Amino acid sequence: MKTRVPLVLLGLAALGLPFVLHEVYYQRVAALVVLAAISASAWNLVGGYAGQVSVGHAMFFGSGAYGALLAYTVLGWPPIAGAPFGIAAALLLAVVVGLPTFRLQGHYFSMATIAAAELIAIAVGNWKLVGGAAGLMGPAAPRSIADLSFRSPLPYYYIFLLVLTILLLITARIERSRLGFYLRAIRGGERAARSLGVPAVRTKLAALLVSAGFTALAGSLYAVMIGFVDPESGLGLLVSVQMVIIAALGGAGTLWGPLIGAATLIPLEETTNAFFGGSGTGATFVVYGAIIVLISRFLPGGIAELWQLVRSRRRLRAA
Amino acid sequence: MLLEASGIVKQFGSLRAVDGACLAIDRGEVVGLIGPNGAGKSTFFNCLAGEVRPEAGRIIYKGADITALSPEAHARRGIARTWQVPAVFAEMPVRDNVMVGAFLRHHHAPAARRKAEEVIAFTGLAQQAGAPAGSLGTLGRKRLEIARALATEPELVLLDEALAGLNPTETAAAIELVRSIHAAGITLVIVEHVMAVILSLAQRAVVFHQGKVIAAGPPAAVIEDEAVIEAYLGARFRRRSA
Amino acid sequence: MILVQLVADGLLLGAVYALLSSGLTLIWGMMNVVNFAHGDFVMLAMYIAFVAVTFLHVGPAVFVPLAALMLFGLGVGVYFALIRHVMRGPMLAQILSTFGLGILLRYMVFWVFSANFVSLPNRMAGGVLAIAGLRLQDSRLLAGLMALLLTVGLHLMLTRTAFGSRLLAVAEDRTAAMLVGIRPDAMQALAWGIGAACAGVAGALIALFFYISPLVGDSLVLIAFVTVCLGGFGSIPGALVAGLAIGVIESLSAWFIGAAWQDVVVFALFLLALWLRPQGLMGKA
Ligand SMILES: Nc1ncnc2c1ncn2[C@@H]1O[C@H](COP(=O)(O)OP(=O)(O)O)[C@@H](O)[C@H]1O
Ligand SMILES: [Mg+2]
Repeated sequence: MKTRVPLVLLGLAALGLPFVLHEVYYQRVAALVVLAAISASAWNLVGGYAGQVSVGHAMFFGSGAYGALLAYTVLGWPPIAGAPFGIAAALLLAVVVGLPTFRLQGHYFSMATIAAAELIAIAVGNWKLVGGAAGLMGPAAPRSIADLSFRSPLPYYYIFLLVLTILLLITARIERSRLGFYLRAIRGGERAARSLGVPAVRTKLAALLVSAGFTALAGSLYAVMIGFVDPESGLGLLVSVQMVIIAALGGAGTLWGPLIGAATLIPLEETTNAFFGGSGTGATFVVYGAIIVLISRFLPGGIAELWQLVRSRRRLRAA
Repeated sequence: MLLEASGIVKQFGSLRAVDGACLAIDRGEVVGLIGPNGAGKSTFFNCLAGEVRPEAGRIIYKGADITALSPEAHARRGIARTWQVPAVFAEMPVRDNVMVGAFLRHHHAPAARRKAEEVIAFTGLAQQAGAPAGSLGTLGRKRLEIARALATEPELVLLDEALAGLNPTETAAAIELVRSIHAAGITLVIVEHVMAVILSLAQRAVVFHQGKVIAAGPPAAVIEDEAVIEAYLGARFRRRSA
Repeated sequence: MILVQLVADGLLLGAVYALLSSGLTLIWGMMNVVNFAHGDFVMLAMYIAFVAVTFLHVGPAVFVPLAALMLFGLGVGVYFALIRHVMRGPMLAQILSTFGLGILLRYMVFWVFSANFVSLPNRMAGGVLAIAGLRLQDSRLLAGLMALLLTVGLHLMLTRTAFGSRLLAVAEDRTAAMLVGIRPDAMQALAWGIGAACAGVAGALIALFFYISPLVGDSLVLIAFVTVCLGGFGSIPGALVAGLAIGVIESLSAWFIGAAWQDVVVFALFLLALWLRPQGLMGKA
């Protein structure tokens, strides 16, 4: 029986973090870390556990973000009330895109997902009804508490933390269940998996549905917090890429990898932004690119692998 | 009759890998499939396992036509297979590899784990159960392939060169393993290059040549057959036996 | 008449697509690695052309070979520093490696040149050729014809020369090639060099008539993917036919549906094609 003590400590640390980080700036970064961890964990179900490297998850994120802000601009509802619509749209997209593309292996799947996401981004950028290239704005000033529009990042931090906790619990559950074994078997070799009775397409689709749903929820939460979305920030290639990098950096196909990745990359991104004077210079993405290349070359299993390496070394020395 | 394949044809471009092959298997049999390299044995296997859909012919299993069914449907109906080139899930531990197979009949993890442990003990992999499958050698991988297949609780197991590349001691142990699988009531079709294996294991040998079955019968009789010697064993065998 | 004009424009553009896709398909067919940075290689070549024209005041006769040479070096370097090590690793690492490289290149250029669109001075090849009622811009004509020539040349080199058969031997069976004394590493490095050089020439030629920006590779690489998938992975004649077809489709859809939607049409066709024939329209199973 594994001890639960570290988990409880981690939970307490997460709850208490804002009391240590007094400055609003740091609290905001903490909220963004948790938000990024949500979408990267969601991506991880398909891209990590099942090894189907989607580079098009922005389409689900964008569904959520646009769903939330369309509920405000079209119906005048609080943005969060649009989340269910965004999630529903993402689930529909997952089926429409997933069924045909899941027959593709390896790189082909990645390319098809990029093409599908770009297609949607271009279409939305040319579609006036959903804001076109200019995008959509949330309520300028909060009309009621339901608008979830707060000055302080703290409420967002705790909302995001709640969602992340639920997602991690679901992932941990999946990891130990038949679905988790089937997903890893598909990553290990789809043909062999099918010969053992793994219904590959159905299994991948199940993972994609959970993944798309939570990615869309992350998108809605993002839109609620930022109050703005346009094709680039909601549906752009870099949105998809960020999920991939965070999961890969922390350790794709592991429970904690995406959280570790987010806790590393987002602060790093903020630091480089601050150092090079805003994200407008592109310096941040140079760092992004360099990190990706270095991980793929030297640490394909991510930080989680490094951790395991250290642990097994120590065990060897102890023995 | 457990399985009956008739008139199976599979074409790769201009090459007819399987050209009207027929095979009937009775419950409880051990059938040896032999033939020179490229004769179409693996492709024929793949047809039986649903991995490859034949262009013509029919496969009847326990009275139902399974020709067009998916590989996973074959597994569900009780046909398991191993791969000529081992296809273990390298990053997963041996135990988890076997559990993937066990999950077919046991939907909950504890039951699947129990089944897996049982099969692991049966196939002699207990020592390596916690190691990643990628760390196994050829012998271990071939055993793991068999273990995974057995974990699906099949009635018919197709072994594609499961004993190839093993040294004599390992081969003897593997023959024992196949015997005990048979003793557990499982029907087997084995593809093998080593004659001795077929002679000691199979009740019936079926000889493939250029996608066709050119001879079938008791192994000892089949290797005496002139056509088989010509096609498969070639001049070398004749020289040696002379 | 407008139809003929559109098709002619499309064919010229398509020839450039064919050349840039040939580089991608060569690497792909040879070692089953997809270079997600291919579009950024093209972008880099466009900036090489831009810098050469702006600071060295040279013409295409200099900057096209220059771009080819520099990109060749980059391709070989990338192979040895990166690809060789990730080729046999997990799929995620393979995809990430070239993806990250692309982002790195893209934003390094962004950093240096900023996001502003630039273009080569119009006098580079600014004339218009009028034949048989068609009006063809000199720049596009030059780019299209040169690309066509080089694509055909590349195909001949692969199929008709000893070097080509050595390359293909490695693609077919690494171990067998090694047994007959071919060094697969050297061949694969050369394939990367040649593949990148194709992107280099294509980029320098596109720069003649297209705007230049750090993100321009984004849509070009997607078009190259479409071309390679439609033409069959590893097939240069396939890339040529598919490239020409896509050029024409783009040109027609830009006219009839609107320029903003031309990429949508191409990507939609791509997804449709992948769905109907996952192994490519002309590829083998
Ligand atoms: N997927 C495939 N595509 C093309 N040709 C194949 C394929 N699989 C097998 N072949 C060819 O079919 C023939 C039979 O192969 P196989 O069934 O593997 O023979 P065996 O197992 O008896 O050695 C061989 O000539 C082989 O090259
Ligand atoms: Mg074989």
